[in-house]
Amino acid sequence: MRRVAVTGIGIVSPLGHTAAELFDAARNGRSGVHRLDIAGAERLTAPLAATVQFDSSAFFEPARERLLDRVSQFAVVAAARAFADARCELTDHERGHAGVFLGTGMGGTLTVDDGYQTLYGEHSDRTHPMMILKGMHNAPAAWIGIEHGLRGPNLTYSTACSSSSVAIGEAWLRVAYGTLDVAVAGGAEAPLSLGSLKAWGAMHTLASVDTADPASSCKPFAKNRSGLVLGEGAALVILEPWERATARGATIHGELIGYGLTTDAGHIARPSLDGQAAAMRAALAAACISSQEIDAINAHGTGTQANDSVETAAIKLVFGERAPRIPISATKALHGHLLGAGGALEFVLSLLALKNNVALPTMHLKIPDPECDLDYVPNVARGGAAGRTMLSNSFAFGGTNAVLAVRAVH
Amino acid sequence: MTTTDRIRAMLVKDYKIDPDRLTSDARLEDLGVDSIGVAELMFNIEDEFRVTLPDEQVRLSTLGDVVNYIDTLVARQESAPEKPTAVAGTVLGTGMGTGMVNTRPAS
Repeated sequence: MRRVAVTGIGIVSPLGHTAAELFDAARNGRSGVHRLDIAGAERLTAPLAATVQFDSSAFFEPARERLLDRVSQFAVVAAARAFADARCELTDHERGHAGVFLGTGMGGTLTVDDGYQTLYGEHSDRTHPMMILKGMHNAPAAWIGIEHGLRGPNLTYSTACSSSSVAIGEAWLRVAYGTLDVAVAGGAEAPLSLGSLKAWGAMHTLASVDTADPASSCKPFAKNRSGLVLGEGAALVILEPWERATARGATIHGELIGYGLTTDAGHIARPSLDGQAAAMRAALAAACISSQEIDAINAHGTGTQANDSVETAAIKLVFGERAPRIPISATKALHGHLLGAGGALEFVLSLLALKNNVALPTMHLKIPDPECDLDYVPNVARGGAAGRTMLSNSFAFGGTNAVLAVRAVH
Repeated sequence: MTTTDRIRAMLVKDYKIDPDRLTSDARLEDLGVDSIGVAELMFNIEDEFRVTLPDEQVRLSTLGDVVNYIDTLVARQESAPEKPTAVAGTVLGTGMGTGMVNTRPAS
């Protein structure tokens, strides 16, 4: 097996457009969640979201811009930023083999929502000719491949909230086992259509509005947590073999050392203690390390009743008596739940936490829950606490659990 | 306004193309409107000119080609209004030629 370096980071997020902006907001607890102002917002029980400030015309020629759903625009911009960050000039031969691994939960749902509004809302037969090409789940990955001429595997993973952790993990497998030398991997999501928000609301999984401070509506691991807040954005990383990265003098952000993947095969929506614990153990096994070597965890930490208590129990199962001494961060309180891009954004935050040796805070955790009694780094970042090795957890509806193990360079 | 003026106005407004480049012999692909872009352009032209693209293949490579095609369609549909058929403009894959528009699925 080969060691795998992360040499590029590209971000389009509610907390900023660079790794530095993202980390600064996460460390200082600045929330990207706000009241949502879209057409029809008054029909939502809890009109909240973490949105991205994004002017697509700044990045695309108009003729191209019109062909890309917002999710593809996010993906293409984040991938370009990742390649620029990696200073990774590929030869034609390298592009012929380089891969794209992208997670998305809802694909081009904005396009699909618009199309159905035309068809059912306006009773018009003027279905837009780009509806399929903009709406299909593999469009974001395809456009990244087209933009950079990447002709190796171009794969889209859709395992709901773990999609982009799966994408990064599957890319890692190929790079680690020597079948691929360069991969751009991560996730993109633009789920904030009225139809999507109504559907999520109907599941009773969305947080209610904290009227005193809407930005603090998502409260992972708190007793008064009421659900998740949807977010949008993209996060892509460049993975390459350690030797290749060092040989070309690349800046290495961190090392991806393991990937655990398990499936609950139980309930479609209720998280499984055993499935989550097995995924963390599988990541440790893939990394060939013991649980003793994990210094901190980026939790899935959605802020729903079910996830946070089960994840707490799963961490206790894996780490035993050490569990209360491991700093656990739930950054979704700030950037929202990016669904198919969430794992990738949190993987990046884990890299940055390690790089800066700062355990990121779990914000809005004012009222502890007896069922969630671990160290969630409540409300204030903790310097010197991220250590050297972290897990980044992603658990999904459908039961796909993906955990990435990441190690600092220092 | 002539057909040319109206299509030029659409390309300036929606595609932000420099009006000086919009000559009759300008190739659509050179203007940044490739084969799938043409399908989208024709969809918008249907709205602008209140015509319905028939289920037939046409090769539209230049701005002049588009203008001539629309003029022909408008004349044909004004003299004998066609019952609207399927929505036109489905994109064709590679190998079908730039600017070719068809209503049949490509794959």
